[in-house]
Amino acid sequence: MNQILLITDGGSNVGVSPVVAAAQAYEEGIIVNVAGVIDDGSIGEYGASEIAEIARAGGGMSRIVSTKQLSQTVQMMTRQTVVGTIRQAVNQELRQVFGVSSVEALPPPKRAEVVRVMEDMGETTPLRVALVIDASASMKPKLLAVEEAIRDLSLSLQARTGESMAAVFHFPGEQEPCVLDTPWTSSTERFGSLFGKLRMRGTTPTGPALLRAIEYFRESYGKIMTEDVHPASLLKQDDTDGMRSGYVV
Amino acid sequence: MATSSEKQLSPGTILTGKWNGRKYKLERLLGVGANGQVYLATYGRAACAIKLGKDVSDLQAEANILASLDHREKKQPFLLDVDDAMLSGNQVPFYVMQYVPGTAVRTYLRKHGTEWFGVIGYRLLRRLSELHEAGWVFGDIKNDNILVSDYGRIALVDYGGMTASGRGIRQFTEIYDRGYWSAGSRTADPAYDWFSTAVLWIHALDEKRLLYLTRTLLPQNRDPGELLGLVKSHPSLKPLSGWFERALHGRFESTQEAAESWREAVHAASGAKSPSAPRVPGWMAGVFALSLLLCISLMAIWLFS
Ligand SMILES: Nc1ncnc2c1ncn2[C@@H]1O[C@H](COP(=O)(O)OP(=O)(O)OP(=O)(O)O)[C@@H](O)[C@H]1O
Ligand SMILES: [Mg+2]
Repeated sequence: MNQILLITDGGSNVGVSPVVAAAQAYEEGIIVNVAGVIDDGSIGEYGASEIAEIARAGGGMSRIVSTKQLSQTVQMMTRQTVVGTIRQAVNQELRQVFGVSSVEALPPPKRAEVVRVMEDMGETTPLRVALVIDASASMKPKLLAVEEAIRDLSLSLQARTGESMAAVFHFPGEQEPCVLDTPWTSSTERFGSLFGKLRMRGTTPTGPALLRAIEYFRESYGKIMTEDVHPASLLKQDDTDGMRSGYVV
Repeated sequence: MATSSEKQLSPGTILTGKWNGRKYKLERLLGVGANGQVYLATYGRAACAIKLGKDVSDLQAEANILASLDHREKKQPFLLDVDDAMLSGNQVPFYVMQYVPGTAVRTYLRKHGTEWFGVIGYRLLRRLSELHEAGWVFGDIKNDNILVSDYGRIALVDYGGMTASGRGIRQFTEIYDRGYWSAGSRTADPAYDWFSTAVLWIHALDEKRLLYLTRTLLPQNRDPGELLGLVKSHPSLKPLSGWFERALHGRFESTQEAAESWREAVHAASGAKSPSAPRVPGWMAGVFALSLLLCISLMAIWLFS
């Protein structure tokens, strides 16, 4: 499962539209979530709608939060996206196999089995999150909170059973629109002090930065459209504890 | 996200299970959390607690955990029923569990005195030790989730954070979280609960300073040493600072050892307070003063009569 998490305060002003870039990501099987950070009410109406639009195009969710809430929000969005993706896949499976539209329609004992499978998948599905950080001048006072949120997210990723990787980009760079700070890693230590020596510049090439992240997914995982989520195979897993047998009708 | 706008159901509302057909009468709201509302209810004449969820899968996941806990513990079951009810046209999932009487730790201590925290702490560690031995980690230890009833008896509620050992903690509360304090991972192990338990006691006895610390400390300075600093400068916690140091750094062999070490520390602390003269409780001192007064006045009557 692939996710991009964009942390920005809005106001992209160079290159391709970030909404278009997010739609492209979604098309390639990457869900885009957006955290809009404000501390002094600096997100205008324009910034707010840009943030919402990016997430909508990217099949994800967006939240506008203060730096204090950033860690929790980033956690929540990442988790909810995993859960949501699995739910979709499972619901589809339920429709095909059992002719019901969702978990709600199942009687509690069967529901218990399906939820157990979903929880297992949530914990074990491989997960890759590319964090794309807006480091334009207006973000400077917020970068400490951003670093903290990244560290916090990586702690939770590390605790998952399934393979979990994160990579960090920031934009703009000195020459290029977007810089890879930390390649895919599953360890928390790698995220030491990320942006310590950054020189902040004025432009905000959010769209090009998203494209760069998509490119990175493609480079590192080949064709990433391959399905990670296989509810069918999981639902039919053999009965190990004798309780699952009731489920596969 | 928790929304307080969530409608409360009025007492007397009847929930009829769609699948099992049982009828429950809601008596009053017990609590509202991030995942739903909990009501005191009656089934026939028996009291029970009902959690009405917002999300079927989340609620079912919690029910699953309770079910497997019941399965392993072989005591009287805690989870009693899982079903859906129709409420004003909506299907609402719920589960029924045993009603746990009691109040949250901090409220209890405020009402009955701080001196109860030793016993309560010991019981909590014993309960955790049972869970840990069965391969579970409670995860979301916090003030609201530990209910204390008469004579310091405790029960855990809200098993939404309970996690099989070795997996990622399912639900936690920031200031109780080991990861938040840069004191270790979010992988479920007994030490995760020891850490939260240590924070619980700081929270229960010294909330002001704990919250002030979390508000003012920069993220990169969060460290178990800061918590230990609070312990060492608090009169009731200070005598147990050895225990806190081990709990915050995960330095026990087992939860059983953590419990024993707690018990010993609490004993030593209460003994140390008044090594020679036994303390005279306030009311007794009052009676003593009164009888002295009585004595003197009697003497006066005798002398001057
Ligand atoms: N079995 C029970 N008996 C008595 N009171 C209970 C019981 N279960 C829950 N409560 C009360 O209801 C409150 C909310 O329940 P619970 O913590 O399960 O909800 P939650 O949505 O998981 O909350 P949280 O936000 O803590 O995750 C508890 O703090 C407790 O006071
Ligand atoms: Mg709770």
